[in-house]
Amino acid sequence: MTGGGSVLGVLAKRAGELAILLFAITTLLFFLLRLGGDPAAVLAGEEADPDQVALISARYGLDQPLWWQYLRYLVSIVTLDFGESLRGGQAALTLVLDRLGSTLLLAFLALAITAALSIPIGAWLGFRPDRGDRRAANALVFILQGIPGYIVGLLLIQLFVVELRWLTSIGNQGVSSWILPSLTLASFLVPKMVRVLAANVAEAMREDYIRTARATGASDVELLFRHALPNALLGATALIGTQFAFLMSGSLITEWIFAWPGFGALLVASVEQLDFPVVQAAVFVIAGLVFLVNAGTDILFRVIDPRVRAGATR
Amino acid sequence: MSLADTRSPPPALLPRLRLWTRAASGNLLLTLGLVIVAGLTVGTLAVLLDPPEGAFRGSLIARFREPFGDYLFGTDQLGRSLLDRVAAGMPWSLGIALVATAIAVSVGTVMGLAAAWFPGWPRKVIQQLVDTVIAFPSLVIAVTVIALLGRGFWPLAVVLGLATWPIAARVVYAEALSVIKRDYVLAAKLSGVDGAVILWTHVLPALRPTLLTMFAFTFADMLIAESALSFLGLGVPLTAPSWGNMLSESREYLVNAPHMMLVPAGAIVLAVVALNLIGDGIALRSRKRARDAG
Repeated sequence: MTGGGSVLGVLAKRAGELAILLFAITTLLFFLLRLGGDPAAVLAGEEADPDQVALISARYGLDQPLWWQYLRYLVSIVTLDFGESLRGGQAALTLVLDRLGSTLLLAFLALAITAALSIPIGAWLGFRPDRGDRRAANALVFILQGIPGYIVGLLLIQLFVVELRWLTSIGNQGVSSWILPSLTLASFLVPKMVRVLAANVAEAMREDYIRTARATGASDVELLFRHALPNALLGATALIGTQFAFLMSGSLITEWIFAWPGFGALLVASVEQLDFPVVQAAVFVIAGLVFLVNAGTDILFRVIDPRVRAGATR
Repeated sequence: MSLADTRSPPPALLPRLRLWTRAASGNLLLTLGLVIVAGLTVGTLAVLLDPPEGAFRGSLIARFREPFGDYLFGTDQLGRSLLDRVAAGMPWSLGIALVATAIAVSVGTVMGLAAAWFPGWPRKVIQQLVDTVIAFPSLVIAVTVIALLGRGFWPLAVVLGLATWPIAARVVYAEALSVIKRDYVLAAKLSGVDGAVILWTHVLPALRPTLLTMFAFTFADMLIAESALSFLGLGVPLTAPSWGNMLSESREYLVNAPHMMLVPAGAIVLAVVALNLIGDGIALRSRKRARDAG
């Protein structure tokens, strides 16, 4: 649903979306937290005694009227003050940002693996989609698409850690410990990207310009690499924006399985411990990241696709 | 297909059954998917009527039994039959996914139709809402809301459904927009038929293949999402034998009892592949029909 518009226009639209989203999420969090009973009791934790609850209630202003609390809450959010972690006492935002690098490393590795696997496989599948071996491979990809990423992760651990004892599966202990988490995270995207690329290449191969190129004597390799693949890749680039949200969902699970020190694992742990300041900070950082990637791909798409570029200046 | 029709007129008895078998023979994979899902449905109903006892009570002398011995799928760390547990998990895993899918598809359909029917501000608002929610990781939303609402069948089903409807809305909107431009809808509009009636009797039937396909694919996605959340320990109550919970438990015993992981994993993959087969099969059939008609 992206229309024309200048780069600035796109940025403004995306920033507006981000603001609406963050407003909705924070409002939801605010009221859901108060819907479930006394938030001070929730914030203090299950083992807290009444004195501690009262202390927290006063400290967070929970004894004030609701509208006043909401207003103060909004102000603190806008100034990026999420409060301190209820468990460790550190500033929640710092806690999350400290883990940004680990999460981005994993996401980057997974994207690289996804591209390295799905571009050649997709091109091979889509170039001659009606051949017997491609049909069989398509069926295989179809089944692989049905295997959720966390099961892939468990199978990888079973094979490479438990049976073969080649790799470790806990935390970040150097390059060899990156392999399994990044493969697991990539497995969330690969089957889908392969299918999209194969379909795009197959569609491009039916286009008139391919027939023309073939008639002028272009070889198969030329047809694929000069004509069909660039078009197919362009379509796939547009997907990265939406797929990044999916990748973030995947990193939540992947980081948790492999005890990876990113903010996905932190978010899951914080939810389990009802550490709301950290949950909120993590949600904000994820939203910001999603915004940057979406806006970035939107702009990239405008720069590399001559058709969109022409449409934007008209 | 046409030759057979002219030679032998369909028997009066069971004409519907014949239609079904003929349609099915044209698409083996679709049939396979339907058979598996029918089996899972029957199994779920059976489990609801008569809960398998071995799912909750085991014997400690029969811990970690390998599959294909006294127990078909082996036993877990408490000596409970994994066959019974995976069966007892069906109402949880499939039930939550079904409710979440129903919510996502029906809310998405209403919103998509509304956006297609009302140009102007309703369309703008709905589109903006859809764009915004789709761009955000749904699992993050689900995890956060579950933290506040607590674990359980209904919170999980509702949260998953509400995090997913925009995808359905986007598909329905695109399809409905093209249907609304057709002549018969215009004719109905001009003759003064009420908008709601037009949408219900003229637009919605035309969307049936799309909706069916979407339902199957969404169901598969919801099944994966539900088990992912349970796997993280943030889904159904920790004592419920849902497939995600079983996977989560199995992590501690990967070394001694890998079958504890493989049994629920197999169940999830089987159900997801079956649903994907159905979705793909229906999409293929409606494309074929459109080609034959046009």
